[in-house]
Amino acid sequence: MKCYVCEKSGNATEAIAVCIVCGMALCKDHLVRADIDMWEGGYPFPPSKLKKKLPRILCKECYDALITQR
Amino acid sequence: MGKEPTSMQKYLAELLGTFMLVWIGPGAGVVAGMLGVKGLADVLAIALAFGIAVAAAIHVVGKISGCHINPAVTIALASRGRFPWKDVFPYICFQLAGAVIASLLFVACLGSQASTSFGLGATTLNSGAGVTIPMGMIGEAIGTFFLMFTIMGVAVDSRAPGGWAGWIIGMVVAGIIITLGPMTGASINPARTFGPYVGNLIFGGPCPWDQFILVYCVAPILGAIIAVFVYDYIAQPDKGK
Ligand SMILES: [Zn+2]
Ligand SMILES: [Zn+2]
Repeated sequence: MKCYVCEKSGNATEAIAVCIVCGMALCKDHLVRADIDMWEGGYPFPPSKLKKKLPRILCKECYDALITQR
Repeated sequence: MGKEPTSMQKYLAELLGTFMLVWIGPGAGVVAGMLGVKGLADVLAIALAFGIAVAAAIHVVGKISGCHINPAVTIALASRGRFPWKDVFPYICFQLAGAVIASLLFVACLGSQASTSFGLGATTLNSGAGVTIPMGMIGEAIGTFFLMFTIMGVAVDSRAPGGWAGWIIGMVVAGIIITLGPMTGASINPARTFGPYVGNLIFGGPCPWDQFILVYCVAPILGAIIAVFVYDYIAQPDKGK
């Protein structure tokens, strides 16, 4: 599969990842990696953050919509 | 994306949750007395007020401190390693403080008659019905057993359906109060009795401290601990963390 973003500008770059939200295939220049905090706890336990985070691959648009504009 | 609550934020959450519980629950006992409500109507009003307060507190501060708002619950969770022992003492101190603040502020709202005439909603044994200290201990232990047994089943056990804990635990508290209330006052929570007792000590209402330790501290704590061990034995939940 080719990178969707590159394809629009006339380049055919091999994709190495897929945005988990919209499904867009992405090359290494167009993917964004966001590491999500993992939590344990919740009633009747106080919440605590786990050491390791969950990796999420997103395209730039989904990253902006979900994370940057918050 | 979100920070862990600090220790002080957790302690204050326990204080505020217990404040909410003791102002609303025992407070309902005071106003029921003031309105001259007697019998089952009195018990139902108090039970409903407690149930609503517990359910709301669980949803509000549950995600901060775990919303124990009850020393028996805190100790029972620690007894099987589900809660760190180092936090047990501060949790209990802030729960007791929240309960005392609730009772004092109830006097601020209604005057000292809340204590002298209506005892700030304190729990005492119904000696008129022949309830003795050993009988009261059994009742409080069973009531707190059911409370903790329910917490284990609907919240601690990871197989429990999400989002129902507040409502179900609030309703079981109401149910326990309907049955146990006419016997012991249905404390099932040392902090819930401590707050009104301190208020009554200051403002002149009843505070039989001889009942406090055995009936309203030892028995609920034992009942809650037994519930944790029994639930773990029959249901074998994962560690619940
Ligand atoms: Zn690309
Ligand atoms: Zn996307």
